[in-house]
Amino acid sequence: MKKYYLILAGLITVILLLIIANITLSNSMSTGGIELSQLQLKLHDLQMQNSILEEKVLSLSSYTHIASQAATLGFTPEKTQLSLSTPLPLAYNP
Amino acid sequence: MNRRCRFALVCFIVVFLCVILRLFYWQVVRADELVSLGQAQYGDNIQITGQRGEIETADGFSLAANQLNYTVFANPKEVENDDLTANALSPILQVDSASISALLSLDRFWVSLSPAVTNDTKNEIDKLKLPGVGFEEKYTRFYPEASMAATLLGFVGKDANGEDQGYFGLEGFYDRQLKGKSTYETQINDAFGRPILAKLENFSGDTAGRTLVLHIDRAVQYMMEDELQKGMQLYGAQSVTAAAIDPKTGGIIAMASLPSFDPRTYQDYSDDLFLNPFISDTYEPGSTFKPLVMATAIDKGLVTPYTKCNICSGPVPIGGYEIHTWNDEYAPNIDMIHVIQDSDNTGMTFVGEKLGLSGMEDVLQRFGFNDLTGIDLQGEGGSDIKSTDNWYPIDVATSSFGQGIAVTPIQLLTAFASLANDGKRMEPHVVDKIITSDGQTIVIPPKVLGQTVSMQTARVMNEILVNAVNNGEASFARLKGYRIAGKTGTAQIPVAGHYDPTKTIASFIGYAPADDPKFVMLVIVNRPTSSIYGSETAAPIFFSLAQRMLNYYGIAPTE
Repeated sequence: MKKYYLILAGLITVILLLIIANITLSNSMSTGGIELSQLQLKLHDLQMQNSILEEKVLSLSSYTHIASQAATLGFTPEKTQLSLSTPLPLAYNP
Repeated sequence: MNRRCRFALVCFIVVFLCVILRLFYWQVVRADELVSLGQAQYGDNIQITGQRGEIETADGFSLAANQLNYTVFANPKEVENDDLTANALSPILQVDSASISALLSLDRFWVSLSPAVTNDTKNEIDKLKLPGVGFEEKYTRFYPEASMAATLLGFVGKDANGEDQGYFGLEGFYDRQLKGKSTYETQINDAFGRPILAKLENFSGDTAGRTLVLHIDRAVQYMMEDELQKGMQLYGAQSVTAAAIDPKTGGIIAMASLPSFDPRTYQDYSDDLFLNPFISDTYEPGSTFKPLVMATAIDKGLVTPYTKCNICSGPVPIGGYEIHTWNDEYAPNIDMIHVIQDSDNTGMTFVGEKLGLSGMEDVLQRFGFNDLTGIDLQGEGGSDIKSTDNWYPIDVATSSFGQGIAVTPIQLLTAFASLANDGKRMEPHVVDKIITSDGQTIVIPPKVLGQTVSMQTARVMNEILVNAVNNGEASFARLKGYRIAGKTGTAQIPVAGHYDPTKTIASFIGYAPADDPKFVMLVIVNRPTSSIYGSETAAPIFFSLAQRMLNYYGIAPTE
């Protein structure tokens, strides 16, 4: 008879533990939606900022922009070039 | 008692049948409707449209990217004061305040006030805190280099359903690759409408379009457009076009046409500007065709560089016509090197006679003038060559110096590039590789279309063409110290059955450095007014651009 009481007590304990676990998990997850919502807003905000910054980088690094800036600053195209047509006698040891 | 039991049984059976029928009605007949009703209660159907893929030059710079924009809308039923709202928005949106007022007075829940404003404009409107005015995010195509390579890129417009659709150039040819996928997913919400931690059903996350990485070198493209712009103004030309190709791979390094358009505001331009003349238009190539005919004759063993022309002492009569040289000066016993150098039409007639009709058919066949080149751009046109069954002897003669046949510039460039690649003709390609949204790279390998002439013939032609640059009509413009192979061309324009005596299409085709070509380039000047000759218009543009390109590539002079 004692054996049955032990089994019954064990089952009740397991049920109680499961109920407690269920309540704990439910509580911890109940705020997940709010966190998810905040995370999604943050992600969206970062994606927008990233997109705007990318656009700025592309605009500022375009050759069209750089050329106009260079002209404004007074730079002119290099017309001549210097090339070394014969090898220099470096480390030459006859 | 039995009767009562039977009655009760029948009643139960009838009731169960009713229940089964009702369940069938709900679960089978109206299943779809109820599923969507249920979904609407516990979640939102979200349309996820992937961003359009970008188009990058070889240095990784996006020539076509995506820009965050906002549609400004209003709910007229929530707007408190129409006039106040209209007056506040008018200067920011640059729309007449009466037009905004008219929209706000409509009996609707949603009216669009401006289709696309930037983030700065959105922030400016946000500060006004106008009730009933809102924003809808969207991405539009953005071209950081404005009109650079516009005819190459094409543009993005709308299809019949209002969806983005690429037209012309790369946007048109690769539209299916670039287009992001549209999918509908369900986001599950709680009783307050907040999203809850549950996966988006069937959401793969792979919706973005593919990115194209081009062979185009942005620096060379910029230089080409700069030189073409200067050339068009200097020579008073109606239009100019040019392209440079890597002869070893067929990769298009740069391609430009002027006048051009801004792909972002394509609606403001004439439709004529959308076609890329380098791949769509045909023209008579004139003398730039001569090296191809000469190469075939040498390859077939019909002439050698030192073969003397025995019909070149004066105009050559053929079928009731006379073939003249461009300057009406004649050189008896001229050899083939000088025929190319002096662009001698009678000398080419001599070569044409050696080749005959079958030989000229062979020229067109082996250099690919009977087919499209297969370039990966929308709008490629084919050559305009009448069937050789209808050719007369005069047609063989005129085609030997590039008249009476019309080809596209890309056909000529691809054909000529084979001489710079030991006779191997490559398929021209703008896209080098495609990057999928999950980061996989698909490389497009170079494709050999055929062997036009033997390696030996190609090298002989190389020397003939270097000599033509050094001693021909355009020698004044050549680059000192570099071995460059090339040929001028001055094509007449057929108008109503005869050639226009005052207007020409001037061109120059060549490659550098001749011994290990980095690029092959064709420059075409349409109807120049300062001079009608290719040597005085297209050639200076070619050499000026070649100088900048050689400097850019760090290639030193060799002579």
